[in-house]
Amino acid sequence: MSKLARVTLPQALNYRGGQPMAAWLLHRISGIGIVLFVGLHLFGGFFLYAIEGGPTSAAANWLTDIYVSKPVQIFVLFAMLWHGLNGLRIIVLDMWPALHRFHREAMWVQWALFLPSFLLPALLIATSAKI
Amino acid sequence: MATQTVLVSQARADGQPAARFRPGFELYMWFFTRVSGVLFLLLAAFSLVYANLMGGQGGAMHAGAQIRWAFFPISFHVSNAAVELTPNFANPFWQFYSFLIIAIAATHGANGLRMILTDYIRHPLLLSWVKALLFGVWLLALMAAIYLIWPAQG
Repeated sequence: MSKLARVTLPQALNYRGGQPMAAWLLHRISGIGIVLFVGLHLFGGFFLYAIEGGPTSAAANWLTDIYVSKPVQIFVLFAMLWHGLNGLRIIVLDMWPALHRFHREAMWVQWALFLPSFLLPALLIATSAKI
Repeated sequence: MATQTVLVSQARADGQPAARFRPGFELYMWFFTRVSGVLFLLLAAFSLVYANLMGGQGGAMHAGAQIRWAFFPISFHVSNAAVELTPNFANPFWQFYSFLIIAIAATHGANGLRMILTDYIRHPLLLSWVKALLFGVWLLALMAAIYLIWPAQG
């Protein structure tokens, strides 16, 4: 068996990691979301072109209907923005470890960049007639 | 995070350099993740600026087309955008550019999934099999990208 620590669910919920832990969790969720979206998109496109008019293109259309729906588009926007901004924060803190003194401020800068750049386009997508 | 590849946790708050790691696969992937992350932003910014300079500005492209341009700038992906009619984007430059984006995206994503799997799968044999499966999916993604970018356009 592996050397990983065993953590029960109540222990995990009690752990107060604060904002950096929330950022790490959202980084993981958004990463999995991007892999799913890009993967579906890539293999959907492949099936669409591989056998034209065949059963695979029906599957491709079905996949396309899912990922062009508004909730999925808004989630993709969230995932791309969060993963990108949080990744930049991680890169900056990794390259200049002295900046770890300001890791709380870095989170606040990240929120200040993320919230307007997510909420405004999300509102536009939610209220637009077509995407 | 349980893996030992996280340099952040090794960095010291007093500004002293982090503990040195022996070069190896994990260190190279750690470095690749950061470099490719920055590269995504630069590649997306370049194609977005280019599309807008070539006729996409002034509301000619709606938000969805702008985003499609940013992430996969090849003719069939932007077929209903205003810029599509300007030059022919099915040329070697944009084909190589698109393949570069997909190749580093697939590698960045597969490596991220490998980290997550290593964190949560406890049984070593199962982990090996799932990693092998992931490697196969990574290869299939690269082949699908090559097919979409080159033969499917012929």
